[in-house]
Amino acid sequence: MRETRLWSLHILVIPVIAVLLGMHFAVQHYAPVFYGMSVEKARDFATMIERGRSTAQFVVYILLLAAGLYHGLYGTRGIIRELPLSPAMAKVVDWGILTVGVLIFALGAYVTWWTFVHPGV
Amino acid sequence: MANKPTAYNNRLGLKGWVYAGNYTFERYLYIGHRLSGLGLIAYMVLHIIETANRMRGEEAWAALMGLFASPVFKIVEYLLFAAAVFHAMNGVRLLLVELGFFLGKPQEPIFPYKSSVMKHRPLTYIIMLLAGLLMALGGSSLFFK
Repeated sequence: MRETRLWSLHILVIPVIAVLLGMHFAVQHYAPVFYGMSVEKARDFATMIERGRSTAQFVVYILLLAAGLYHGLYGTRGIIRELPLSPAMAKVVDWGILTVGVLIFALGAYVTWWTFVHPGV
Repeated sequence: MANKPTAYNNRLGLKGWVYAGNYTFERYLYIGHRLSGLGLIAYMVLHIIETANRMRGEEAWAALMGLFASPVFKIVEYLLFAAAVFHAMNGVRLLLVELGFFLGKPQEPIFPYKSSVMKHRPLTYIIMLLAGLLMALGGSSLFFK
């Protein structure tokens, strides 16, 4: 039952990633197409800070961070767990992946928060 | 003597990740899905670490962005975009299969057996064509502006 829940969550976050990653691509990589702004300008420090100070941007990035990391790390876990691992080793893999996920999420969330509360350039 | 079956008795081991007998197009998509997924999660982790560079100030950020503006990174950026498109489009196909769409109606297993893979194959081609189109469009936006 636990595995079914984890797998279902892996599937349920897909639409969240699709929408939020699409927004991220539009803002960062396809700014000339969607915003008439050069990629250099879109990635400029002042522009990036200004964008990151909005509540919408903050929420989008925290959600994308959580959804993307969960989907990716759950998939990685599935691939590694296909190897002939002993139950003890499988537990090590689970905890290792969880630890990496929590650490990377913490770093990403901190950077997003840092930008959100930045006084501006 | 046969091996005693256990929960982790996977004889193929690493080989099992890329070899599973006489499969065709879908098997390559499966390998591509895994490789692109691993590439994307590796990039995501690096990307989060790299964007933390902004906390070191404007100059450090500008230096990093200068590096990303180089032609080599343009190509890397495009490969990432292509991997994301492929992974997403193949993921849509996998979801449809998982939910039982485009597989035909269940039938009695009477010889000669009909494969649901072949029922599904036209959709596979359409989805992969769409993925190729999106990759081409994305490339044109990245490289020619």
